[in-house]
Amino acid sequence: MAFLLRRLCFYLAAFLAAATINFFLPRLMPGDPVQIMFSSAGAELPPESLQALKLTFGFVDGPLWQQYLTYLGSIFSGDLGRSIKYFPLPVTTVLGNALVWTVGLMGTATIVSFTLGTFLGILAAWRRGSLFDVIVSVGAIFATSVPAVVTSLIVVFFFGFTLNWFPTGYAANPALDPAFTLQYLGSVLYHGILPMLTLCTVLTGGFAVTMRNNMINLLGEDYIVMARAKGLSDGHVMLWYAARNALLPTVSSLAIAIGTILGGSLVTEVVFNYPGLGNILYQAILARDYPVIQGQLLIMTATMLVANFIVDVSYVLLDPRLKRA
Amino acid sequence: MKSQPFGLIRNRKALVGVAIIAFILLVAIAAPLLTPYDPGARVGRPHQAPSLAHWLGTTRIGQDVFTRLIYGARTSLAVGFGAGLLITLVGTALGILAGYRGGKVDEVISFFTNMVLVVPNLPLLLVLAAFIGQASPWVIALILGGTSWAWGARVTRAETLSVKQKDYVKSAEMMGEPRWRIMTFEIFPNLISIVGINFIGSVIFAIITQATLEFLGLGDPKVVSWGTMLYAAQKASALSVGAWWDILTPCFALAFLGIGLSLLNFAVDEIANPRLRTGNRLGRWSALIRSGEGRL
Repeated sequence: MAFLLRRLCFYLAAFLAAATINFFLPRLMPGDPVQIMFSSAGAELPPESLQALKLTFGFVDGPLWQQYLTYLGSIFSGDLGRSIKYFPLPVTTVLGNALVWTVGLMGTATIVSFTLGTFLGILAAWRRGSLFDVIVSVGAIFATSVPAVVTSLIVVFFFGFTLNWFPTGYAANPALDPAFTLQYLGSVLYHGILPMLTLCTVLTGGFAVTMRNNMINLLGEDYIVMARAKGLSDGHVMLWYAARNALLPTVSSLAIAIGTILGGSLVTEVVFNYPGLGNILYQAILARDYPVIQGQLLIMTATMLVANFIVDVSYVLLDPRLKRA
Repeated sequence: MKSQPFGLIRNRKALVGVAIIAFILLVAIAAPLLTPYDPGARVGRPHQAPSLAHWLGTTRIGQDVFTRLIYGARTSLAVGFGAGLLITLVGTALGILAGYRGGKVDEVISFFTNMVLVVPNLPLLLVLAAFIGQASPWVIALILGGTSWAWGARVTRAETLSVKQKDYVKSAEMMGEPRWRIMTFEIFPNLISIVGINFIGSVIFAIITQATLEFLGLGDPKVVSWGTMLYAAQKASALSVGAWWDILTPCFALAFLGIGLSLLNFAVDEIANPRLRTGNRLGRWSALIRSGEGRL
């Protein structure tokens, strides 16, 4: 329990760090920070809206610490300002709608590639030096050393534009109304296949290699030898003795990988014109919509911290030693 | 235990990696000799398919894709190696300092290292680059150096902790050598393999990230690099108009370089640590990172 509490405090500090960066960045740039933040709006913004925006981002009369507290106050009350491109929509609404798609895409891709990668890793380690192992290891190097943007573009080119098997944009058929109908969900699935394929290609190799190496380190242990000596079947020893113990460090590597997954899914969304955070962000960058750009850092940091916390909790559940610590 | 054919394949991997990087480096250096065109000039009709005059076709505004590819290699390699060096420098210095000094110094450095590790890297870079606006390749390299050192610092710290227990460090301490001398001349040389792996890993990261930032429109569009090539091609909807050569060329170049560097990373690890040949780079990294786990 103490472990989880300590982690929570740490995550709070990390979130504050991201907020602090947001606060200081416009103020460190040469020129008037207010002008920089809201310049893209031009004269279209009504004066009272501009006043409200200035308040949200801490541009108030007073010393710096007071401005900082004002900014933190608005963040922790859930006010991230309003998008300039989609004015007057609040940043939280713009990003919240997109977050659902990103988390859905990211979550599914992570579960699929983690499961697949782990099984490939187990089998590769079990048959170390075999052709299967070589294929998995070499394939993993290739897949993980190619940038996500390149993988996305190649996948969209071959399966989308050349073969015409799958749609090359949007999360669902725009003609359908979003509802929990079979038709709509089917369309979501159909549109999600290529982005998923891309993310899984990028991610599976890393999980496979981690699992393979953890397994190999464990295969020489006494309890493996004993399990074999007891006459247990190969499959039983592989899964319930070796893989079970090798899984723990693999879960911790999952925590480290979350940042990569997030980055990969941002880029993939841009290429596939998928309505997630990445695409919103891309549009925001083009439109110089700074409230949205800043808001995404906070939301992504929060997403990452929540994911890290989930991994922490599962770590405690998997490793009984941590419960006592 | 290790079977012979597998060992051979691994050595071949290393060789292929070095060959790929050397090839790209040579092409980048010899760029003006290999093409009659200027990378920025309009030398043909828009979106011409590959032909004898234009080996890899032309872009939307009629620039020669092959020329841009080989000139772009210069930028991508320079930023990759420059930023990689910077990332490694900062990470190694902080890692050794934290690991060797221990106590308060370690606590402060480790706290910041872990903090940087949980703030998602790409979104952070996007915010920084968005405020700087049309960042030149060197600015991108600087931002990368400032934000991406945390992995290296953590791994180096963990390794320093084990090296500082060695007898030769203890004896240097007894002889009253100053701390900076022990860190640079006793500890650092024994970390050289981990620093090398960190360096190549950072170069891969820098090249990928630079290309990604530029693809997202945060680079300077006037610069010729693989990232800006991707950006221009995507903006010109190269894929939907069928100009695949425009966008796939930088794609394959990036993939090629990434694979070459990864193979080299393998080699460095194996040459430096023969005992590690059963595991590999990623396994070693995760083992080292785990040993730093649990500290906040």
